[in-house]
Amino acid sequence: MFELSTEACNIKELREGDYSAYDAVYLGDYSCPEYPNNFTSNLEQLQAGLDLVKSRGQKCYLRLYAVPSNHDLPWVEDLIDAAIKMPFDAFEVHNLGLLRMLKKKGSTIPVHLGVFGNLYTHETAKTLKDYGVTRVCPNPELSLKEIAYIAENTPIDTLVPVHGKIPLVISETCFIVEHSEDGCNNPDEPCNYQCASEHWLKRGRNDGSHTDWSLKDTGRMTLSGKDLCMLEHARTLVDMGFNSFYVQSKGEGKDYVGKVGRIYRDALQKAFAGEAEPDYAPLVASLDALTREGLCNGYYFESAGQRYFGRS
Amino acid sequence: MAQLLAPGGSVEMACTAVDEGADIIYVGPLGLSRRPYESELTDAEIREVTAYATDHGREVRVVLNTYPSPFEMDNFLAKAKTFADYGVQGFVVTDGGAIRALRKMIPDTFIHVSIGSGISNSYDADFYRSLGADVIILPYRWDIAEIAQTRQTSDIGLEVFLFETVQTGKICPGKCIMSSYLRFREWLEIEQREHSYGSANRGAKECYRVCQATWEFGTPDSPQPVEIKLRRDARLMLEQIPYFINEGVTCFKLSGRERPLAMIRDLVRFYRKVLDTVQNGEQNLDQYVDELAELRGRWVREKSKRVDTLMDRANSYAV
Repeated sequence: MFELSTEACNIKELREGDYSAYDAVYLGDYSCPEYPNNFTSNLEQLQAGLDLVKSRGQKCYLRLYAVPSNHDLPWVEDLIDAAIKMPFDAFEVHNLGLLRMLKKKGSTIPVHLGVFGNLYTHETAKTLKDYGVTRVCPNPELSLKEIAYIAENTPIDTLVPVHGKIPLVISETCFIVEHSEDGCNNPDEPCNYQCASEHWLKRGRNDGSHTDWSLKDTGRMTLSGKDLCMLEHARTLVDMGFNSFYVQSKGEGKDYVGKVGRIYRDALQKAFAGEAEPDYAPLVASLDALTREGLCNGYYFESAGQRYFGRS
Repeated sequence: MAQLLAPGGSVEMACTAVDEGADIIYVGPLGLSRRPYESELTDAEIREVTAYATDHGREVRVVLNTYPSPFEMDNFLAKAKTFADYGVQGFVVTDGGAIRALRKMIPDTFIHVSIGSGISNSYDADFYRSLGADVIILPYRWDIAEIAQTRQTSDIGLEVFLFETVQTGKICPGKCIMSSYLRFREWLEIEQREHSYGSANRGAKECYRVCQATWEFGTPDSPQPVEIKLRRDARLMLEQIPYFINEGVTCFKLSGRERPLAMIRDLVRFYRKVLDTVQNGEQNLDQYVDELAELRGRWVREKSKRVDTLMDRANSYAV
């Protein structure tokens, strides 16, 4: 009927989190190879993660590093060569160079285009199909109407993020390391994982201006301060023909992935079954309680991303 | 022979760049080139610039580097055809689907891959070559070794900015939608459009360069968050030019459609001299160091003014 997926960056998260509400799991943090025991750069952990997800009866996708520089290509290629021999259901690729590499290798594993793949048009979706892409995650700037148009006009599955912080920026260096007290961007120094503490970018507070900007920063990636929340629009999403949904959970507390997943699975099941819509207010309140900066609807309704429209 | 690619943020700027010796001028049509309307041209102005450049033996590229909405794709391609019919010799494009469609529609045109495509390695260049692109602009931060590696990976033409930067901060062209998360600014009436889609990446709305504004950064319980910009400014480049040419770079791009005319005039004049010097066999560019320092100072002052203007706008427009 539908697929609800989320992510797990390493084996610890996969073992400690409640992933029972999900049909599929993307393994790995695509933003930082240094993330502790990241599946994306850690072959030893990868097989264990794959086995665990499969033992739960879920599909398992491998994420590849989103911004590999020329210096990263050798280790990324080693990972690909090993992973091609493993029973992954798909690779998630954000970098079009890696897509080219996979094609040259003759890989037959399906490819999902990740959020930083910059998918904006149906023309690009058609182009990427020739590279083995079977699913695309459109750029977050697209509205629901545009995503529906792409879904209707290409023979590719379309992934719709429904909850969690929106990835806004990715870079090749770690902002936290660069600005830590003892920080220096020395590639020879081992990472001391200061990203384990939440870091935020803020502007305009307490200075008398009316701007109130807040963004979460994980080092190499900047995320929306607010959590995307499409719960109240579950019926709309179903009516528009979408059936692949995603919860972004990187960097959240260990209860987050389970609580959010259960709420969305229930809402989507009801929507697909044509049942009466539940009273969303208490559910939205419980999702809001998981956030530091509140909820938003992203760009789905053709507005700046940090607004929340609700049902109205 | 390496070529100098210069901005035409207005008809006057484009013609001045031709007069000062640019080989190619790039111009952006209203709503399709990731710049505020003040730095974009009407179709009639593009036709005028094309005629002027062609009369002087120069070429024109039209920047179509927005990510169009799927609803705009037909119009996007029709515009390209119109410009090709004006005599424009090529385009600067970001969207992969648009590159392939353009190549099919106008087989003999010249296609540059925009920095907005967000490339990070040499395989990216090979990907865009496979779509039909002729030349790709490489990130500011790439060094000679990376340029050489790309030359070995793909036969795509290589273009570099006349700017250098260090590998630090949030350097993420093509990988950022931060501005549109925060604010929008539109100018539909000027573009004669009834509707626009999305963000600065899609042309009709402004990027506020929030990465160049000052932010507070720290953990939620930081007693004193640090005040920082998210990236360092790039600065004008000089000493790398002969080495880049030796590694096969064929096009040097000067950005700055929104900069003052006099600034662009002087930069085109300067880099024309530098490129001619290198292409006459001279590798030592010491004679230009003092002039470069003066131009760098002017560039930073102008850029600072621009960022302040943008942030003031961001503060004044409703969400």
